[in-house]
Amino acid sequence: MLFPTIDFALFFLAAFALCWVLSPFPTPWKLAVLGLSYFFYGWWEPKFVLLLVAETAIAHVGARMITRARDDRTARLWKIAAVGSLLGILGYFKYAGFFAVSIDNVARSVGLGNLIPLIQPTLPLAISFFTFMAISYVIDVARDELDPASPIDLAVYLAFFPHLIAGPIVRGSELLPQIRRRRDERHIDYSRAIHLIVRGLFKKVVISSFLATAIVDPVFVSPSGHSALDVLFGIWGYAIQIYCDFSGYTDIAIGLALLLGIKFPVNFDAPYSAVSLQDFWRRWHITLSRWLRDYLYIPLGGNRGSESEIARNILLTMILGGLWHGAAWTFLAWGTLHGVGQVVGHRRREARVAAGKPPQTTGLTAHIGHVVWTFQFVCLAWVFFRATSFTNAFEVLGRLFSGWGSPTTLVTPLVILAIVAVLAVQQLPGVLGARLAAWWSNQHLALQGSLLALVLLGVTTLGPTGVAPFIYYRF
Amino acid sequence: MSDLIEVDDQHAPSAPSKRSGPRPSTTINWQRLLGLMAATLAIWLFIDSTTLQHNAQVSPVGIRRTIALDLLGPVAALSRVTQVSHLESWANGALGRNGNGSGGGESLTIIMPPVQKRTTTGHPPIHPAITTIPPNSMQSPTATDPLRVLLIGDSLGIDLGDALQNRLAATGVVVAALDAKESTGLTRPDYFNWPAELTSALPKVNPQVIVVMMGANDPQAIPGPPGISYGTAAWDVAYRHRAVSFMRLATSEGASLIWVSLPPMQDAALNAKVQHVNDLQRSAAAKVPKVIYIESNQVIAAPGGGFSAFVTKDGQNINVRTPDGIHISPSGSNVLAASVIHTMRKQLDIPVP
Repeated sequence: MLFPTIDFALFFLAAFALCWVLSPFPTPWKLAVLGLSYFFYGWWEPKFVLLLVAETAIAHVGARMITRARDDRTARLWKIAAVGSLLGILGYFKYAGFFAVSIDNVARSVGLGNLIPLIQPTLPLAISFFTFMAISYVIDVARDELDPASPIDLAVYLAFFPHLIAGPIVRGSELLPQIRRRRDERHIDYSRAIHLIVRGLFKKVVISSFLATAIVDPVFVSPSGHSALDVLFGIWGYAIQIYCDFSGYTDIAIGLALLLGIKFPVNFDAPYSAVSLQDFWRRWHITLSRWLRDYLYIPLGGNRGSESEIARNILLTMILGGLWHGAAWTFLAWGTLHGVGQVVGHRRREARVAAGKPPQTTGLTAHIGHVVWTFQFVCLAWVFFRATSFTNAFEVLGRLFSGWGSPTTLVTPLVILAIVAVLAVQQLPGVLGARLAAWWSNQHLALQGSLLALVLLGVTTLGPTGVAPFIYYRF
Repeated sequence: MSDLIEVDDQHAPSAPSKRSGPRPSTTINWQRLLGLMAATLAIWLFIDSTTLQHNAQVSPVGIRRTIALDLLGPVAALSRVTQVSHLESWANGALGRNGNGSGGGESLTIIMPPVQKRTTTGHPPIHPAITTIPPNSMQSPTATDPLRVLLIGDSLGIDLGDALQNRLAATGVVVAALDAKESTGLTRPDYFNWPAELTSALPKVNPQVIVVMMGANDPQAIPGPPGISYGTAAWDVAYRHRAVSFMRLATSEGASLIWVSLPPMQDAALNAKVQHVNDLQRSAAAKVPKVIYIESNQVIAAPGGGFSAFVTKDGQNINVRTPDGIHISPSGSNVLAASVIHTMRKQLDIPVP
């Protein structure tokens, strides 16, 4: 069940009423939320609800055994077992086919074919997200940063439907207290929630969909059939498309949670206003970045050690971060590019600080330069993220040089406007939307409803036409 | 009520002091918020009811569709009577859209050969309406006289079409037009009318070769009146007739038609339906001249024709299907596209590079 659908709107209306009616009664509330979340997840494929239940059980048992362990060694073993099991499940569903075919191809090239059975399990929706949340829970308990939760609290934490499909990756310390505590039914921050939902819908349904069909998909499908300018704007367009798609969905998730009295952490903070790659990763998919920092980068050694050790830690973290996004060599390349870029950036900053200079050149011109350069590098990496293969990626990049002189057909004023507008908004302080939402919330309720309905109509009208009511849909 | 917990007032905004005056309210209690959301949804449903009604009409026949139509019918009628539905149709008209989501135009993309230069007007022709067909263009396509190919399909057709369009465009001697739309087929012209779309596309593209891959969305009831349930002899007759008509329309202007069968599906029940559609399409193709039928399960399937996510080509494993067990991966699309181009060379005698 996807957010921007009438099915979900009706589901949420019922869920909202049920949750708040039961809010004074903690156990029934939790059971209701859990039931709604499993129903929401099972709407796509009922059997994978069992997977969610299984991971909940593994995390629960692991955490309990860690806290009951008689010594540190036993606790560590339980931690490894729980985290290993969770990673094993993720590895099987997401990476088994990729690694099997890659290893088998290498084996074939040296005359040792058919070493590994080639399998491709159906990929459960959102498995990367809830597995990472389960792992963070186990590790936080092992670090004594979190008390073990009751089974039902843990189940609600992992399955809570607003964040279930595409994050944010919420920590146990952030969500569990809110699950245990009674939500304030008298003061729901609906102004901010509605603002987020409307903003998210507009970004995802209107801007992202428009850029995908107008320029990004045609360019990446057939780079050789388009001019260099088409390809250049197609790459920039993809940067905007993926931002609007992902951050739009997250906005909606955060807004929906707010309506239920739950606060999620911010997940995107104007990433294309970043002045360096390090800054970019403090603004892009923030909850994943901090997960990688706290559970991978710092345990590897983080900023401690020699320069080569720090570089190794950065590279390894970014490469695995790339792999998290998808089982393909192009995602690894994307992660590697970011890793290399961050290593270079880190060393430059260290060298400047050692020479008594600020980490980066300062001033307005320098700032603009940093933003532009960072954006272009991020776009370069996005090419590998979006491309279906290395051949496709190099076709796209090559066309930037070979495509001058060919007719430009896709760069329309509307495409330019969409790209420029989103980039411009990121450079500005984000107060306009909040002020608009506050003004709206001060109107009579009837006017609020009417205005909101017109906004929804606008979004659905500007969004892609038609509906996909048939049996199959593309994941 | 031992389960009751008091609200944690630490997290509630403090009441405004009498001296500071009323503070703008950005918070609300849940009952009023429920009323607001319900009212918003109701207003939006009322304004958008005609579109939602159409969406329900084109959805698969079943309980959900019946309930939706029963609920939306009166609402849509009231919306029309009160002229409120014009708000939405006005907005769609301003955007140049057919509000019902049917018809064509948005699904057609044409890729010109990369060597095309700008015309003297500075605007290259997007739809080359060539009124005469040079006698040798099919046997010896060139950059200035390219072969014209039209690719048609549903989401599987998009999978194949993307790869095929790219490969053909890269030859420099082919104009490859892709006209495809997800979730479509021949069973539900009320959702997307392929015969009408093809009729519209033919004069724009003037194809010499048409490649079609669709049908995965077709195993469903044909709504009435009278309705025809899938799985009946009447459905088979009706579907085969539609397939024959479509093939005849495609070849009516002299184009050759390559019809690509649907690949096997991972899910057994779905696969049974898909293979049945293949059987009907195959029998239709046998009745229409200038139609070549390609079996995709000889290219992107297991050696026996069953489902396989991987095939071995030139000693290397290639992942040819996506994790959903339905669609074709980019690598698989390339393999299938190569097979189509091979057919164009061998059976149509077209020297595609």
